Amino acid sequence: MIEVEGLTKFYGPHPAISDVTFTVDEGEIVGFLGPNGAGKTTAMRVITGYMPPTTGTVRVAGHDMVDDSLEGRRNIGYMPEKVALYTDMRVVEYLGYAGRLQGMKREAIGERTEFCLERCGLQERRNDIIGRLSMGYRQRVGLAQAMLHNPKVLILDEPTVGLDPNQIIEVRNLIKGLAKDHTVMLSTHILPEAQMTCERVIIINHGKIVAVDTPEQLTSQIRQSETLLVRVDTKDSNVVQQLLDLPKVTGVRPAEGTGGYYVDAMVGTDIRAALAAFVLQKGWGLLELRVVEMSLEDVFRQLTTEEEV
Amino acid sequence: MRNALTIAGKELRSYFISPMAYAVMVFFFGLCGLIFVLYISSGPGADADMRPMFHSMLFLSLIVSPVLTMGLLSTERATGTIELLMTKPVRDIEVAIGKYLAAMALYAILLLVSLEFPLAMAKFGHLDWSATMGGYLGLLLCGVAFMSIGVFASSITDNQIAAIVVGLLLLLFFWLIGFLGAAASPTLGDVAKHISILENFQDLEKGIIDTKSILYFLSLAGFMIFLAVRSLENRRTV
Repeated sequence: MIEVEGLTKFYGPHPAISDVTFTVDEGEIVGFLGPNGAGKTTAMRVITGYMPPTTGTVRVAGHDMVDDSLEGRRNIGYMPEKVALYTDMRVVEYLGYAGRLQGMKREAIGERTEFCLERCGLQERRNDIIGRLSMGYRQRVGLAQAMLHNPKVLILDEPTVGLDPNQIIEVRNLIKGLAKDHTVMLSTHILPEAQMTCERVIIINHGKIVAVDTPEQLTSQIRQSETLLVRVDTKDSNVVQQLLDLPKVTGVRPAEGTGGYYVDAMVGTDIRAALAAFVLQKGWGLLELRVVEMSLEDVFRQLTTEEEV
Repeated sequence: MRNALTIAGKELRSYFISPMAYAVMVFFFGLCGLIFVLYISSGPGADADMRPMFHSMLFLSLIVSPVLTMGLLSTERATGTIELLMTKPVRDIEVAIGKYLAAMALYAILLLVSLEFPLAMAKFGHLDWSATMGGYLGLLLCGVAFMSIGVFASSITDNQIAAIVVGLLLLLFFWLIGFLGAAASPTLGDVAKHISILENFQDLEKGIIDTKSILYFLSLAGFMIFLAVRSLENRRTV
């Protein structure tokens, strides 16, 4: 549905993104993840046809975004990072304007406006002047205008920025629901968001793709050890050294705030039983023993900081 | 074309929601009315001639047009609304023409309402209607050129004040080029006369409808809209 090939975009002498290649399949919900300034917005602006690429091609729903941009744009619903709307218009007026520019028929605009107002929780605000709406509601108007013409592809740039925690959850659920009928690509710098909403994550840093995979795969791929958290009740002052002497253990460090220890073991091994047996044999009290899942946050930090070193 | 009309409708509505349309009308008709009263009360036996009025109206149009057009494209840039506009299936030229049509529509409303002046004159004296209509055609054509210059000025900046300044400078250039050229050299003066707004207007105002003048205003407008479209396209490569 979205095919990006060798995409490079220069701002003056510096590339904002360089040689970015990826595809998004129909019905997928893909997250574009990266720190601020990584090139997410630039990439999305090129994909939506707002700016042409310096080199490389973008095809959306089969339409080249340079040669056949108008047809491509018909298939895209876009919500920019800073949702800038005409502050002197009312919500329904604005949606009507957006619909007419999309080439929709009058009846279709009426029907879809009702649908989108309902889905975005805007019915009560339909006649409000946009300039008087709070940030969260403007964000919803931005989403409503993006989905108004029922596009095949939805491109959402930081859709939850500036929302309060309840609104964030609402919007995330809304986006998840949209994935049934649309192909969704969203950008975010919030890791749990990508982990929660996206089927696939594209991690971008300094304008380059550093990883593409499912959140689960990414975390397991990057894992260099199996980590356990163990908490023991003992007066023994030399726990770390004794744990290190166990077979297959590669590292032990205190787990801050828990009073326990992180025990790293060789990849592909499960030393839980051996560790438990050892603790009991020592006569310590075993308070806790569990596998520590690596979060996407760790993966992300690893991928993006390795680059700089 | 449908898109251009959609955009024009939206902009025209914005004019009337904001104080813009009213401020411009108060300014335009306030001064026009004052000049009209001064003119007809200049003593018994004053001519029922619209020509002195046309001069004032033309000058007021020159001031009003950059004000009307200043925000058309520059605010879209400044606030960022241009991003959503340009990612809709809309051509750049449709955006430029839509904005231009909105300014032209408001200008046409000004001219229509100002018909009260010749109507009042005709009631109390003998008015040469053909010369008057020629003058109105001249004003309309000047508007066609003025507004296009304003739209171009608005397209190259995201600052409304800068748009006004650029617009006024361009207008003054086309206004005064006749004098400047003549002062420089006779040959240059001849060329400059042809691209001067004032010279071309004066023919029409006398009731002489010359295709050359009409073509002049239309091609000036076409050129300015072309430049505005280019400047819109340019944003894409910035």
